[in-house]
Amino acid sequence: MAKKPPQEQIPLPEVLIFPARLLKAETTEKLLNRIYDDVPHVRHITVSGESLPATLNAGPGKGLPAEHPERRIIKVKGQEVELRLLVGRVFVEIDDIDNVDDSLARIESICNELLPFGFSLEVGRYSKFKPTVTDYKKCR
Amino acid sequence: MAYKRQFYPGTSLPAKNRRKFYDPNYKLEKLRDVAMDDVVRILGHRKPGEDYKSIHPPLDECNEPDCPVRQMVVPIEGAKKGDRIRYVQFTDSVYWAPAIPYIRANMYMSRLRGIDTGTLSGRQIIEMRERDLEKVSKEYIDNETFDPARTGIRGATVHGHACRLDENGLMFDAWQRYRWNAKKGEVEYVKDQVAIPLDKPISVGKPMEDKWLKAHTTMFRADGVDMRDDAEVMAQNLRIHRLRTLCGYQSFAQKE
Repeated sequence: MAKKPPQEQIPLPEVLIFPARLLKAETTEKLLNRIYDDVPHVRHITVSGESLPATLNAGPGKGLPAEHPERRIIKVKGQEVELRLLVGRVFVEIDDIDNVDDSLARIESICNELLPFGFSLEVGRYSKFKPTVTDYKKCR
Repeated sequence: MAYKRQFYPGTSLPAKNRRKFYDPNYKLEKLRDVAMDDVVRILGHRKPGEDYKSIHPPLDECNEPDCPVRQMVVPIEGAKKGDRIRYVQFTDSVYWAPAIPYIRANMYMSRLRGIDTGTLSGRQIIEMRERDLEKVSKEYIDNETFDPARTGIRGATVHGHACRLDENGLMFDAWQRYRWNAKKGEVEYVKDQVAIPLDKPISVGKPMEDKWLKAHTTMFRADGVDMRDDAEVMAQNLRIHRLRTLCGYQSFAQKE
């Protein structure tokens, strides 16, 4: 009898919050805490955006501190996290596929409150959820 | 019949605004007045009051060869004095900045003498003799081609023209050369164009309102005026594209 192939992992859904403006550290901090506090079934939040380097990496001032005021330590769920981005996308992973609609509604109401300049929400999967062939070859 | 110079085809709003920028007889509106010393500080090539460094003796003291072209072309002030070549670089946000790099290139070539300019995706550099460059920089910071929030003066790491604006409506800058002063409602530079900190902030004024920006736009955008809606602009662009494709830079060789 042929061996059964290993069962495919089911990807957990992610809610993508795409604000119309790049977010300040203060707004990012508020948004992340509100989502963790008020939305059930949140497993994980990932952020991406525009990188804020600590030092100037080119030009005659190379090596000087860039001192961007939005690159700073924020507190999320009581933990200090160094924010090195001006956040442009927030991915909220929901651990229960049956609760996506409810989570989405709650996220929308939080965003309405915190992001008055506009935003869009999408549900999908935006990051890898199982090792890729490259990971396999690199023995990750 | 004498040839009358034309600047840009089309009847749409961006086409009209482009014509204004290109036409040297049209006086660009002056919207602000940034002090010359502050412009020099933002450029960062010399300190205000410092002598201009030179790379050759003044032309009067040079033994210029007897050349009809040299006699015909009047040198600009900096060239007469032998100044160094320095630069200024403007970055324009895709979110309704008044100018865009290619427009700047055509505008500079149409309006200025003694410059070398280069176009990149989001920025436009001007290279020029130092004392003339300072005058030109001031003129183009003060006039309607510049918006404090959506145009940046950036010598290096210009990334940000295609990013969303930040919460204050400023174009993204990883080095934060300018910041929003909420009390005054103005944008102020705290670093020069290569992000060396300035001694004191330099205000470049209030950002223009969205309504003004949309009325003065030189951009064809899908959410504004679509280029395909301006038949004359499309016809001209297709003609250029066709001639380039068929015969490269020898468009005169194409028989139509």
